[in-house]
Amino acid sequence: MKLRTLLATTSLILASLGAPSAHAAGTLTVAVHQDPGNWDPIATFLVAWGSVGNQVFDGLLMRTPEMKLVPGLATKWEFLDKNTKLRFTLRPNVKFHNGEAFDAEAVKFTFDRLLGEEGKKGPQQANYNAIDKVVVVNPLTVDFILKNPDPVLLTKLAGYGAMIVPPKYIKEKGSQYFGMNPVGTGPFRFTEYKPKISLSFERNASYWGGAPKVDNLVYRFISEPATQAAELQAGRLDVANQIPLAMIETIKKDSKLAVVSLDGPTALALRYNTQRGIMKDVEVRKALTMAVDREAIIKSILLGQARPIASFQGSLSFGYDPALKPLPYDPAKAKAMLQKAGVKPGAQIQIDFRGPDSNFREVAQAVAGYLQAVGVTATLKPYETNVLLNDIIPNGKTGEMWQNSWGGWTFDYDNTAYAMYYTKQRWNPFDDNAKLNALLHIQRNSWDQNLRKSTLQEISRLVADLALEMPLYSLNTLYGVNKRAKNLALPADGRFRFVDASVD
Amino acid sequence: MSVFLIKRVLQAVFVVLVVTLLVSYAVRLTGDPALMLTQGAGSVTEEDLANIRTGLGLDRSFLAQYTDFVGHALVGDFGRSFLGGTPVARLLADALPATLALALVSLFLSVLVSVPLGIQAAVHKGKGADQCIRVVSLIGLSFPNFWLAIMLVLLLSITFPLLPPSGWDGPASLVLPALTMAIILSATNVRLVRTAMLETLSAQYIMVARSKGLKERVVLYKHALRNCAIPLITYIGLQFGNLIGGLVVIEKVFNWPGLGTLAFDAISGRDYPVLQGTVTVLSLVIVAVNLLVDVAYGLVDPRIRNR
Repeated sequence: MKLRTLLATTSLILASLGAPSAHAAGTLTVAVHQDPGNWDPIATFLVAWGSVGNQVFDGLLMRTPEMKLVPGLATKWEFLDKNTKLRFTLRPNVKFHNGEAFDAEAVKFTFDRLLGEEGKKGPQQANYNAIDKVVVVNPLTVDFILKNPDPVLLTKLAGYGAMIVPPKYIKEKGSQYFGMNPVGTGPFRFTEYKPKISLSFERNASYWGGAPKVDNLVYRFISEPATQAAELQAGRLDVANQIPLAMIETIKKDSKLAVVSLDGPTALALRYNTQRGIMKDVEVRKALTMAVDREAIIKSILLGQARPIASFQGSLSFGYDPALKPLPYDPAKAKAMLQKAGVKPGAQIQIDFRGPDSNFREVAQAVAGYLQAVGVTATLKPYETNVLLNDIIPNGKTGEMWQNSWGGWTFDYDNTAYAMYYTKQRWNPFDDNAKLNALLHIQRNSWDQNLRKSTLQEISRLVADLALEMPLYSLNTLYGVNKRAKNLALPADGRFRFVDASVD
Repeated sequence: MSVFLIKRVLQAVFVVLVVTLLVSYAVRLTGDPALMLTQGAGSVTEEDLANIRTGLGLDRSFLAQYTDFVGHALVGDFGRSFLGGTPVARLLADALPATLALALVSLFLSVLVSVPLGIQAAVHKGKGADQCIRVVSLIGLSFPNFWLAIMLVLLLSITFPLLPPSGWDGPASLVLPALTMAIILSATNVRLVRTAMLETLSAQYIMVARSKGLKERVVLYKHALRNCAIPLITYIGLQFGNLIGGLVVIEKVFNWPGLGTLAFDAISGRDYPVLQGTVTVLSLVIVAVNLLVDVAYGLVDPRIRNR
């Protein structure tokens, strides 16, 4: 009797709480994995910021999901005075969300702030150091005076630290307030921020690029991929930016959901410690690369959501060379090469990897298995990610091989290659190659994109010849999507921009 | 009583100081926040890093940083998050109620279930009901908490879409995480109630109560339960620490905006101010619970109250 009453009451309470609400009409809901905690363009360098920044702010240029640079707040640009000056013609009649006018002063203010004392405290300034100063020519024309060449500058002007901010608003309210209540010229107008929980926007009906189709846009911060997947399955998300590999098939089977898989920016490799033991011999390094079947690893562990690579970059990267093929999987030849190099069966090596990266743990185990088959015994050493990245690698304390993972939004091999192979760079504790240094220097200081492309391709070939690493794969960018959302134009770098998106 | 209180408060201050000192020191050994903030930022020079460290106040000695933290914490200022600069006090004020709500509801649910079950198991010792309850609680003990969480989500928000799988959208969101925690807690609590009850039931005053012809219900719930309340309260108080530990995982799985999630993210992001603030609040909560346990002794046992 009592039990029945209790059950009845419980079900009543549950019923009154209601089943999870369906989507409100015209609201697009997106899950991102992290709350950057600050929406000021100069405050962070997190992908999660980029997932939001493009909705609120505009840069002088924009980059389409197809990696094309197109006019943004600038309608055209030209290089003057032997590439020491970059002149922008600005878009007229653009207003910030607070009604403030966008003009040359706003551009100058943005870059003075980024390049000055305030920018110094954040991680963004270093990327824009090629700019000496910004000079206002007239209200709709600005000149960027350049200190030194930066061939990736135009791309960098299409995102992150270069997003144009409102001078009056920031001067009145202060940066702290601006960081919690962002105002830009972008397609969506900020309405509410609940730290660690959500961030809400409404459409900017007077957006210069045409008003967005949806009324509201809500970001929810959900760090666990499995939780994002559950929310997607429960119909409470339109876009999930982290989907566990194991959930792909389940999501695909759901008639209301879809998985979007794109070539991504993140490359993985096992870098060799070329100063340690048998690794000093380039033939040994090549043999180990040939001993591992990467296709099989991609198929069985990564469920096909990656592509084999021959250099440390994905196919969208500027400098990618489709003609450069990975060394073939040939364990018999690898064994012979090892024998010739005098490596005795049972030789010991160590593979360092990021412990919390469960996918890579399996990959590392598979690699160890393949190496065992050619007579090299690999022990696996998991590290807490920050310890590996901030101590073991930069201080040259790694084992014979270490997990190297690299992404970035510029999709230009310059950034990667320079950080990885230039002497004494943080990610290059072991190698010192004069020819590599010279090539890296040439491409970094040239505006000639054709020359840069061929130089970057030469760099990738040289690195492969030196066998500085065992290139593994580039990971696909995966999104889980509710099919009621249309025209999402999902980008490979996670920098969403839902101007044309609609919901049923 | 007032001497007792002062002693307890001093103890609490000491505990919180030691805990925060250890945590602040340990987390500083594990990585540089400036490097965390600039990961993937392209060409970052040592000078850039030094600037960022100065901006965060990390160029000073550990002792200076720690005393600064304590000094400000005393007036409720826990500094600003390294990640984004949100005031830590605001993050804590948002997260504490969420965590307390989850902890108290799961504890309450668990007591509601485990006390009657534990008593029944003790009364029917060795019989079918007892065996059954013990086996079920053993199964409950063996579940990893995150696995149970995922199974419940699968069942109650995906297969039968009754409840939201994560986040905070009103009271319905509380059901799944609280249920998960309550199941885990009940598994231990049932066994504890059973053991405590068995001991009490063998006491002579129970025999006396029964021979007076009192109803079995009265014997069990008035005479026996009251007498084994002290060990139960002690244990449940101690369990609160474990409960908070378990919440870190459960909050993460359910994306619950509480202190557990906050602490987890602060550790992985090397966000010292947030971590220090969270640890301070959590240790205060645990100290406060222990104090409440002591006070509760007096409430359930007139002998202690009148001492």
